[in-house]
Amino acid sequence: MTSLSTAAAGAIDAFKIYGKDDSEVRALDGVTVTFASEKFTAIMGPSGSGKSTLMHCLAGLDSLTSGSITIGDTNLATLNDKELTLTRRSNVGFIFQAYNLIPTLTALENITLPLDLGGTPVDQQWIDTVVDAVGLRSRLNHRPSELSGGQQQRVAVARALASKPRIIFADEPTGNLDSRMGTEILTFMRHAVTDLGQTIVMVTHDPVAASYADRVIFLADGKIVDELDNPTADHVLDRMKRLGS
Amino acid sequence: MTAPVARLTIRGVIARKWRIFLTILAVVSGVAFVSGAFVLTDSVKKSINDVFATLSEGIDIEVRTSIAFGDEATAERDPVSIDVIDVVTAIDGVRLAEGNLLRAATVIKSDGEPLRTSGPAFGIAWVGPDGLDGRTIVEGRPAAGPGEVTLDKSSARRAGYEVGDTVTIVGPAGKDDFVLVGLNGTGKTTNGGGASIAAFDPVTANEFLGAENMVDSIYIAIDEGADRDAVMAAIDVALPDGLQVITGEQSAEETAGAINDIIDIFGNVLLGFAAVSLFVSAFLIFNTFAIIVSQRLRELALLRAVGASARQIRTMIIGEALVVSVIATLLGILAGMGVAKGIVAIFNAAGAAFPSASLIVSPRTIVASTVVGVGVTVAAAIVPALRAARIPPVAAMRPELGFNSLQKNKRLVVGSITTGIGLVLFSIGVFGQPGGTSGTLGLSALGAILLFLGIASLSTTVAAPASRVISRVLPLPFRPMTRSVPGRLGSRNAQRTPRRTASTASALMIGLALVSTVSVVASSVQASFKEQLQGSVTADFFVSNGPGNFQGLPIAFSERLSELPELSAVSPFRAATAQVNGDTKQIGAVRGSAFGQLVDIDLASGSVESLDDGKILLHRDPARDYAVQVGDTLSILWLNGTEQQIEVGGIYDDATIAGNWLVGLSTLQAVSTATPTDFFIGAKIADGVDIEDARTAVEAVALDFPSAEVQDQAEFQQSQEDQLNQLLIIIYGLLIISIAIAVLGIANTMALSVFERTREFGLLRAVGMSKRDLKRSIRWEAVIVAVFGASLGIIVGIPLGLAVTTALPSTFITTTVVPVNTIIIILIASIIVGVVAAIGPARRAAKLNVLDAISTH
Repeated sequence: MTSLSTAAAGAIDAFKIYGKDDSEVRALDGVTVTFASEKFTAIMGPSGSGKSTLMHCLAGLDSLTSGSITIGDTNLATLNDKELTLTRRSNVGFIFQAYNLIPTLTALENITLPLDLGGTPVDQQWIDTVVDAVGLRSRLNHRPSELSGGQQQRVAVARALASKPRIIFADEPTGNLDSRMGTEILTFMRHAVTDLGQTIVMVTHDPVAASYADRVIFLADGKIVDELDNPTADHVLDRMKRLGS
Repeated sequence: MTAPVARLTIRGVIARKWRIFLTILAVVSGVAFVSGAFVLTDSVKKSINDVFATLSEGIDIEVRTSIAFGDEATAERDPVSIDVIDVVTAIDGVRLAEGNLLRAATVIKSDGEPLRTSGPAFGIAWVGPDGLDGRTIVEGRPAAGPGEVTLDKSSARRAGYEVGDTVTIVGPAGKDDFVLVGLNGTGKTTNGGGASIAAFDPVTANEFLGAENMVDSIYIAIDEGADRDAVMAAIDVALPDGLQVITGEQSAEETAGAINDIIDIFGNVLLGFAAVSLFVSAFLIFNTFAIIVSQRLRELALLRAVGASARQIRTMIIGEALVVSVIATLLGILAGMGVAKGIVAIFNAAGAAFPSASLIVSPRTIVASTVVGVGVTVAAAIVPALRAARIPPVAAMRPELGFNSLQKNKRLVVGSITTGIGLVLFSIGVFGQPGGTSGTLGLSALGAILLFLGIASLSTTVAAPASRVISRVLPLPFRPMTRSVPGRLGSRNAQRTPRRTASTASALMIGLALVSTVSVVASSVQASFKEQLQGSVTADFFVSNGPGNFQGLPIAFSERLSELPELSAVSPFRAATAQVNGDTKQIGAVRGSAFGQLVDIDLASGSVESLDDGKILLHRDPARDYAVQVGDTLSILWLNGTEQQIEVGGIYDDATIAGNWLVGLSTLQAVSTATPTDFFIGAKIADGVDIEDARTAVEAVALDFPSAEVQDQAEFQQSQEDQLNQLLIIIYGLLIISIAIAVLGIANTMALSVFERTREFGLLRAVGMSKRDLKRSIRWEAVIVAVFGASLGIIVGIPLGLAVTTALPSTFITTTVVPVNTIIIILIASIIVGVVAAIGPARRAAKLNVLDAISTH
């Protein structure tokens, strides 16, 4: 692994405020953070800590009240809806907790969807690599309803990788899976970073999942309160207990 | 559309095929009306034009009397003396000239009843197949002398006659028996397009048809190689004044054109109903797509998240509408051909015998149907598509952030403005009546459309409170519902998505608003008519030609009645066209000595008897417009060019029966030799004569005029009302189609809602709700929506009806009636509509497997 990785994405002085005056809620309260390329970063924190909001804003799905977000060299605040769409299409991949796939498209069509939408030619070799890596070769022509939860999630990971995005955001990707399938997905995500050179930012509240990451960032009340490099599950659990008390 | 968007679109339609099935059905019915109207008019026109083309093929030139003003095709011309035939024949280049004579003549069937035809019943002069008018002999030979006749084959068959039988025919002067020597036909067809045609040789025709050596016009064929223009010029020079020369083609075109105009009116009525049902369909389409979009919120957001642009989402939804509309349009065009065929079949069953059964689907039909079907569907899907494109990508993870809809206040403002503009346009159209009939119709239709859209938009605001009120006030049998759990759930669900409830109800509103409007106007017209009739009719008997027969009565009838000692006063009512001071008017002609005893016209000044002195009577409205009083003179120009200065002999207030203008019979007979027929005859019983005896005497005369119908006052009134009722039944029947579409809409919304609430129903069933209660709650919700729509329809429709009633001239409307019965029927029907619409969705909801329902996400 190289230590000279550049920043894939970052936030500077990010504020996200809902409501006004008395009912004001600071979902992000001045977050500054960078995510290195070719690294696997986990964002952790209790419910309402702002971890999902941070991820949505980083991914250009939601906008900040103030502050700036960059993906690569691009400041998202300067983009209109059309440019944001293009950025998401080519630079960002997504893995959600559930409902990741378009029910009317086959597994393969779902995987190539971001490329198809952009009219980008499909890099067949890369798709083959991804498909084989997630072990879906035999299920490519099935509709999502014909796939198990774990298989659906693997299709989602493959789709996130398909366009070789600068960064992939995963929102509780194992939240809906049993532990064996969860392990499978996490192993694969680790593999994607280590061997395929991808960059992943994952929101989770599961210490075991976080232990697959290179680095864990802890959020509470909209602020970054701690971080940990090369975590193990025990370490993470330990930190969380401390944060909770 | 790029390939992946197209793929998503097609897959989207296929995945939701059952959910958009009802939408397709709605579009199909609208398009079917459009294509049906065009196919029908094109086909019927073609066949009728073919008949006239055949008939005029051998005619190079026609000579007829000229008219002073008005429409060449439909004018009642004075006849031409048969002496002119000789004048024309003598001209160089004329090969053959023959008289064209056509008069009303009814065939009596073998069972003694008059043959009823959907077209006119004619007796004609015909020299045989060697003549110029293109008729052929299908069987036997042409009539060659007194006591002989040929009938068109279809009439002969329907009347039960074969060649050799004796046929009784009633002509203008009375009836006579003839031997059927042959069957005639027109070109390839063996019937007269709904008319019955009895053909006599010219001499017999002249006598039996009472033509008095006159003919309607003269058909001329020229020598081979002769220059038609030169021959026409020569004829023109030789003709006496008041006659004109035209080409055979022009004559055929005029006749066909007049019939085509009538067919066009029929087609336009169909198109009008097409517009109504398409408008209603638009609501259904809008609703379906709006619901589908909201159900696909996460899917659409996901697409946005993985890189679909807002434009791609928009294209996809509109693309889905496009696919739906193309399928629906194709089916609609086919269904339209079925509609046309069905209408032709109905008319044929009624004896119309349309000459050709082949349906013509012209490019215009396809283009118009496609524009309308695709246009309406895509237009209705635009707002849902825009809304879909506004879904933020973050909704893929947080669906609660899905829609930021039009704010309540903004909708109130937009709705109010639209309603206001609609009302103003409607009022201008109805009261101001700019641009004649088409201006009035166009403007009030546009106003009504805007009004409906505005109300539909406003109704979103009141949907929730209205649902609450409706669920409280629905009558007793439903009372227990409001307290039970299913009742509460149904009511709450109707309030939950006011936008959906409102637009579903609005579709029903349109049809029912139109029904309410029509019923207010019709009830008022009916009541006013009854009132006026009671006030103005003093005659004991009315004789007319029976409903649906537009040919007048032979004038011999009234002459025969006048001779009866049982009657004290008899007057026919005849009509003529004339120009009064340059404006074209319909003028009635009556016997002044009798008319005053038959109809109370509420004379304000002068006397009715003055009619017999050659004076004119008029209603107070035209008297005011022309600023005339008794003793003043009016300049009357009759159709044949005769101009007279006629003195005003009286002014009256009641025009119900008399119309606005009256002259004496003698006045009309003196100026015009056009073949007279009578609209109706009124008669009063002589003093001391028993009504039954008088009736027996009148009926005895009527035996010689089999198409005539003798009615006493009550029967006459009833038959007038029946005619209005028949018209109403047709209007209601066609509006029912738009209501049926609205029912589809309710069923559709309910079905989609059931799908959406799968989890909720699963939960309800899991905690112990019975299938029956679940069904009841869905049914209740549908009833509330339907009653809401019906209430809106009544609230909008009745004022519109009152406005139209107010705008109608006071001679039409004397009383305004709000038909309470109809309103109650509409409300009860709407409850039934709700129950019916909920059948499918309720059954489906009850069938859900509890476990599956809960575990679906």
